[in-house]
Amino acid sequence: MEKLLDILMEIDDSIDWKAQKALVNDRLLDSFAVISLIAELEEQFDIEIEAAEIIPENLNSVDAIWKMIQRLKEN
Amino acid sequence: MAYHTSIYLFVFLPVVLLVYQLTPKKLRWMTLLLSGYVFFWMISGKLVLYLIGTTLFTHYIGVWMSWMKLQCETAVSGLTKEESSIVKKRYKQKEKWILIGGILGLLLALAYLKYYNFFAKNINAIIGAWGGSYALQTKELLLPIGISFYTLQAIGYMADVYWGKLKVEQHPGKLALFLGFFPQIMEGPISMYSQTADALWQGAPITGENLSKGSVRILWGLFKKMIIADRLYVFVQAIFEHYEMYHGVMIAAAAVAYTVQLYMEFSGCMDIIIGSGRMFGITLPENFRQPFASRSAAEFWRRWHITLGVWFKTYVFYPVSVSGLVKRWNKFGRKHLGKYLTKLGVSALSLFPVWICNGLWHGARWSYIFYGMYYFVILLGGIAIEPVRNKVLDACHINENAWYFRLIQILKTWMIIFTGELFFRANGLRAGISMFFSMFRNFELQRLWDGTMLTFGLDQADYLVVVVGCVVVAIVGMMKERNLLGEAGLQKLCLPMRWAIYYGLILAVVILGAYGIGYQQVDMIYAGF
Amino acid sequence: MQDFKNIGKRAGKVALFLAILFVIFELMAERMEIALIKNDNLVQSRNKSLFRIQREPQDSIDVIVLGDSLSYASISPMELWEEHGITGYVCGQSGQKIQETYHMLETAFETQSPKLVILETNTLFRGRTGLEGIKETIEAWGNYYIPIFRGHDIWKSFLIDKKYPEESYKGFSFRCDVQPYKKGNYMLETEQKEEMPDIVVKYMESIQKLCYKKGAELLLVGTPSPVNCNYRRHNSISAYAESNSLDYLDMNLRLDEIGIDWETDSLDKGDHLNLSGAEKVTKYLGDYLEEHYELPDHRGENSYRGWEKEAREYEQKAQLHLEQMAAK
Repeated sequence: MEKLLDILMEIDDSIDWKAQKALVNDRLLDSFAVISLIAELEEQFDIEIEAAEIIPENLNSVDAIWKMIQRLKEN
Repeated sequence: MAYHTSIYLFVFLPVVLLVYQLTPKKLRWMTLLLSGYVFFWMISGKLVLYLIGTTLFTHYIGVWMSWMKLQCETAVSGLTKEESSIVKKRYKQKEKWILIGGILGLLLALAYLKYYNFFAKNINAIIGAWGGSYALQTKELLLPIGISFYTLQAIGYMADVYWGKLKVEQHPGKLALFLGFFPQIMEGPISMYSQTADALWQGAPITGENLSKGSVRILWGLFKKMIIADRLYVFVQAIFEHYEMYHGVMIAAAAVAYTVQLYMEFSGCMDIIIGSGRMFGITLPENFRQPFASRSAAEFWRRWHITLGVWFKTYVFYPVSVSGLVKRWNKFGRKHLGKYLTKLGVSALSLFPVWICNGLWHGARWSYIFYGMYYFVILLGGIAIEPVRNKVLDACHINENAWYFRLIQILKTWMIIFTGELFFRANGLRAGISMFFSMFRNFELQRLWDGTMLTFGLDQADYLVVVVGCVVVAIVGMMKERNLLGEAGLQKLCLPMRWAIYYGLILAVVILGAYGIGYQQVDMIYAGF
Repeated sequence: MQDFKNIGKRAGKVALFLAILFVIFELMAERMEIALIKNDNLVQSRNKSLFRIQREPQDSIDVIVLGDSLSYASISPMELWEEHGITGYVCGQSGQKIQETYHMLETAFETQSPKLVILETNTLFRGRTGLEGIKETIEAWGNYYIPIFRGHDIWKSFLIDKKYPEESYKGFSFRCDVQPYKKGNYMLETEQKEEMPDIVVKYMESIQKLCYKKGAELLLVGTPSPVNCNYRRHNSISAYAESNSLDYLDMNLRLDEIGIDWETDSLDKGDHLNLSGAEKVTKYLGDYLEEHYELPDHRGENSYRGWEKEAREYEQKAQLHLEQMAAK
């Protein structure tokens, strides 16, 4: 979880990431932020994220991102 | 049978509504599907076979992929985790080949019908330049109406099944309806299977509420198309078809006029389409969200032809951005280039295919390809200068949300849009470039009021109506931006107010509409793509 | 029960809405029509005859001419008046479609009781098939029953003083260009036929019924036009006229009797006739009417003073135009 927050802070340190529940829908994460985030996650957590996973439901909050990471790790 | 014609609005649509309502609920999907094919047939005749072929092909690919998924499940049962992951990978690979085959199949059909001549001409030109003789014959190919739209929907469906976002559709009729719903056939909106298929299949009864709200939406579309777009058409046509005769402010005015025409026309037709869908209880995705309030080119594309943008983002941009090539670049960049350049590289790699496809999608012309590349360069440039821009703004203590700053951003975005549409409309890339440069020669602002504007077939009254119409659309747009209007807002008004608005709309269209003697009926622009 | 109440309430609301809309349309249409009938200059050229015929004194017209541009390029009512005292009016429109022909006739019958209706036959081949045909039918229907559609552009006249002035002598105006037709004989005999479109056949039936109901005879006339006429069309109309016991006069087969000279009588290389051609055709037509129909000679009657005055003016101008044309 800490690792994830570090990654997010690196993208933008002015956002209180934990408090946000609609990161994609409110455009705190635009599509370019999303692709850097995905690249970072793949590297740091050693997972493979398909394009199909890049949907708002998986990225709208820190929790959702974390859940996705856990799920992909299990596979 | 375009959507703004009397025959669609007063004959086709009411008849389908009636037959639909009279059909038993379980069979209503057939009524819709059949109407779709009849509609298609009335425009493109027997080319409807292409649509049916595409549907069957797409259905088959979907079923094949899901069969693979099932095979995979049986195969992995009872295996250890490591083993099953290997097996899964193998099956995934097979599925991927099916998907690629499916996409290629559809794209080849599209490419053959839409791009063959372009390809042949350019090949011939190259061979000709080498002194060879002509190699490829150009052919008269008839394009089935809406092929660019339903092909994208079909590809989206296949990819969603491949990714497991969707369960496969076993019933070919449901898939056929998704690809052949008549309001969407000619120019979108491009919907995803998850957005419309279930509602279409359901056969919900027609309600008074949907009918009246759908009608209001249709009226609003007619207002934009008939009062504003079809008037501007006259002026735009006059300048773009004889661009050599004009320069300076007239070219600039034509670029602005075309942009407004295209918006009023395309979004107006969307209103008619979405209103038609509404009458059947179908919520079609919106295609426009006040694009002229955009503060950047990137935002513009999130507000203009939204469904096309979303499609490219979902099925091109993200897949490319997680592809092996981009990953390798990422690794390489981090080691050798630093963060900024790596990010720029990733953006370029993912954006380029999107914009080359966007350009090509509009048609096989160099000017469309240029149009795509134009936005590619602008968007990439925006990303490239972002750090510098932020530093400058910080240093100058500029508040990004101050009204004057927003205004400047919006105006800047307008310039970008107008220039883009100039190239988009011009008769070929060479004409576009020539027009662009002639805009800066002898600007002669006074031509706007010295009577030149009256020589194109529009009189003062026409221009006045266009301006007033645009102001009305702008006010409605601003209210929508602030969530003051829309259906809910209209519902809050008291009945006489609401009715007054409806009467106003009807009378405006009937009296001010550009139809009848002295006007020509203008075809829908996007139906040609 | 509740449901029915709701449906009833809704239906009532819709009915009220439409009723108010209808009243608004009617009121506006009425005011508009009055303005248009009063001031000819506000009417756009294609609709002019529609309003002009309504301005003529009641039951003063004995011959109504319908058709597309060939009708008003070839037939000059003032000539008929001068030679025979026949009161005719040309209600042709450029590119008049058969649906419009029908509604034009309906309009004419509202205030006139003509004894003879002449239909220029080029209209009989103007019908479009399929969707376009349906579209044209809807449009013609809408224009007739909801007149606001055809005159909606009148707001421009109120706003910027937009006017469409045009000289007219009972539907005829002077066309004085001379562009000869040089391609020779165009009525080459054949057995072939060009079928009339379905929609035309359907509307012709309605036109015949309407004429019968109003006690007017119907005469089909083909005026000379090398661009538009040929023997295949002649055969088709001939057969149609025969099976419906209608009179059919094809002037394209009587060019010598009429005295058409393609060097001097063509306006635009064989499409329309010019003033010189129109005078010859009308003269021939007048004799034909004299011979075959019993149309009253109104010359000298008190209530037709206006015609005499108009005819004098017409004659003077026509002479002038003809001299100028001969000099070209």
